[in-house]
Amino acid sequence: MLRKVGSGLRSLFRNEQVDRELDEEVRAYLEMAVEEKMKQGMSREEALRAVRLEHGSLEVTKEIVRSAGWESLVETLWQDLQFGLRILRKSPGFTVVAVLTLALGIGANTAIFSLVDAVLIRMLPVQRPDQLFRLINVSKEGKTIDAFSYPTFELIQENNQTLSGVIAFHPLGIVDFVVNGKGELAHAQAVSGSYFTTLGVKPILGRTITTADEARGASQVAVISYGYWTTRFNHNPSVVGAEIVLNGAPFAIIGVTPPEFFGLEPGQSVDVSIPLTSLALVQPQFAAAGSPFDVLTAPFRHWLHLMVRLKDGETEVEALANLGPVYEEAMRQAAEGLRGLPFNSPSARSDLAQSRLKLESGSRGLAALREQFSKPLAFLMAVVGMLLLIACTNVANLLLVRCNSRQSEIAVRLALGAGRARVLRQLLTESVLLAAGGGGFAAVVAFWGSYAVANIMSRSTSAIHLDVHPDMRILAFTALVSLVAVIVFGLIPAWRASRFDLSQAVKEGNRAATAVLGRSRIGEGLVIPQIALSLVLTVGAGLLVRTLENLKNSYPGFREQNVLLFSIRPGMIGYTDAQVAELYERLLEQIKRTPTVSAVTFSAFSPLAGWSGFTDARVERYTPRQGEYPAISVNFVGPRYFRTMGTAVLLGRDIAEEDRAGTAKVAVINEAMAQHFFGDRNPIGRRFTIPGWKADTSPMEIVGVVENAKFINLRDQVPPAAYIPFFQSPDSFLAPNF
Amino acid sequence: MPNESSDLVQGTLDMLILKTLALEPMHGYGITVRLEQMSKGTFRINAGSLFVGLQRLQRAGLIKSEWKATENSRRAKYYTLTQQGRKRLDSETREWGRQVAAITRILEASS
Repeated sequence: MLRKVGSGLRSLFRNEQVDRELDEEVRAYLEMAVEEKMKQGMSREEALRAVRLEHGSLEVTKEIVRSAGWESLVETLWQDLQFGLRILRKSPGFTVVAVLTLALGIGANTAIFSLVDAVLIRMLPVQRPDQLFRLINVSKEGKTIDAFSYPTFELIQENNQTLSGVIAFHPLGIVDFVVNGKGELAHAQAVSGSYFTTLGVKPILGRTITTADEARGASQVAVISYGYWTTRFNHNPSVVGAEIVLNGAPFAIIGVTPPEFFGLEPGQSVDVSIPLTSLALVQPQFAAAGSPFDVLTAPFRHWLHLMVRLKDGETEVEALANLGPVYEEAMRQAAEGLRGLPFNSPSARSDLAQSRLKLESGSRGLAALREQFSKPLAFLMAVVGMLLLIACTNVANLLLVRCNSRQSEIAVRLALGAGRARVLRQLLTESVLLAAGGGGFAAVVAFWGSYAVANIMSRSTSAIHLDVHPDMRILAFTALVSLVAVIVFGLIPAWRASRFDLSQAVKEGNRAATAVLGRSRIGEGLVIPQIALSLVLTVGAGLLVRTLENLKNSYPGFREQNVLLFSIRPGMIGYTDAQVAELYERLLEQIKRTPTVSAVTFSAFSPLAGWSGFTDARVERYTPRQGEYPAISVNFVGPRYFRTMGTAVLLGRDIAEEDRAGTAKVAVINEAMAQHFFGDRNPIGRRFTIPGWKADTSPMEIVGVVENAKFINLRDQVPPAAYIPFFQSPDSFLAPNF
Repeated sequence: MPNESSDLVQGTLDMLILKTLALEPMHGYGITVRLEQMSKGTFRINAGSLFVGLQRLQRAGLIKSEWKATENSRRAKYYTLTQQGRKRLDSETREWGRQVAAITRILEASS
């Protein structure tokens, strides 16, 4: 088979000129041979026969010469491969160890690379992602924000003359998605009518949201993702037109997006998209429709991510030059629009008017995940890189040792006239076989490895959906890494073995010959980087374990044993503040009656959830230092919160059943807050207010001080914090954790 | 003279061709005849192997060729040693000497 392929290919490359010359040369040669024979007395016929016997016919000779070209290379390569396989089969122990070592090294690299690829490198699955640019607002002081108001978006869209499209979108987080009376949670986003057409995302079913759907009063439409269509609707094609309910508001499904589309934020997967103008139906509190805070009209509410698509051939600089004046005009109008509204002040207006526009490549989507994980991923990549180096040096050492036992074989081959290059090639072929085996297993390692790491990256509270399935690019990366590995681990031993000094080996006799390759300086030299790399990794791992130990042993300020946590969001389906309070009281009552529950309470922010409330505070009889804006963390908690959590009350009392709407407003503060605002004096009975939180800003009296409990995560310094009885300011927007 | 006498030790044919050409430029058949004469009939070179060797050497830049008329006024390709070829012949000759000595010693030691 190979021979056929070879001859086929060869005819492609055969050079006619060369061929003719060869023909003439060989013909002359044979002719001379015949003449010679005839001189010795043969007849011409006899001479011809004799020559053909000795040298073969003209054609055969030419064929031999031709095939000595590159086809023979393919053939010897084939031989090398077969021989290599035979050799490796002969020592299964070595082969298995080497292949597994390499599989681990290459696999770890591939796994991490597939994450790096998904998070940092891969482009958005939309048309011409290189034309997409995110708009960034740069303030006077140089602070950047990628959030804009709806009026700004409208102005840019209206006045845009050069861009091929402007899109706006806003992630809605989780919504309640009801189909046929059954509710489930889904990730939602609100998008402008230009979103899908500008991105070039074509529906695989039905249609996408268009500008026509933006008109106020248009029917409420929603587009679902392929993934959601699969899990929730089981690929049912009649899903188009289906009635669904999002957070209590009716919508009709009009289309399904293609499988590769996940939204514009890598790591997030959007299940359902609705028009921006329907936002008020799904998140009425946030939308604040009709009020001065209406997200669709208020110039001070910056909540939209904006992206633009450039025209073909338009550069970023040109686009910015065109867009800059439009943006400045929009900002000037926004500043004017502030008059008569909340947050209106000369400084707020000048801040708006003086902010500038910046473009940033949007080809890879939003940067949140990149910012969060680019450093850990780079670190991981370096670590697995070192791991691969160690694996390579290990295999190189194994190969070196093996060369000893193959000493006589190599010696004989060299002695019989095999060129060094030939021996080198044979040894390298074996290395390539090892690496190929390693690379094959590595794909398996990488497959589950990347999923495992993606799962670790994804915290329980905010799942990260990364598309880490191995594709051609990942496989190409694996192949490349394997190749590099071959060069690293295969070349040194092979070069070493082929430099084998025959005469010296002979001089020193058979026994000594074994030693020539044996304790080579290279073998010893390899040990040094091996130990160094291993040491670095061990120390690194040790530090990580130590940090984990420390975190594990650190006292978070509450007893984490035997605590169960769950959360609900009745606000999503339209529960009012008062209804919410009633619901929670009923829940507490019923849970308390369960025999296995020793105590129950709830809080707006569960401890160590990674986030918390944060607000300004005004403490009576406390004068802030120059330039200080006192701020505290706030949590809204249920009765007996500290007893349930096992946090020690140092002074005063816990939040009690009696602290409810209508009774005197109270709060419990932590040690850090007591220390900061009151120093050594007794804080009990002192009062403070939280301005701007809800309408009711009457002061709260401090009734207790508790020990510092960790708030956001285990590493953070405990901030000054206040715990406020939830029932004294119920809020349906918060999703309490029980 | 056994028939397999043309089986040269692999890699030595090139050296022998170089050696032959070191004396004077020669065409393919001339090389065969000269080798046969010099080895007193031990080595008989097959035309195929010879041309393969010549092509290999030419690609390596050790010999060069040109078309000339033979003494019998036939057109033939004459091969000449290059400077590089001459150097290679020297080094290969030395290496060969060492290897032969070594192999001989191995053979004597193991018998």
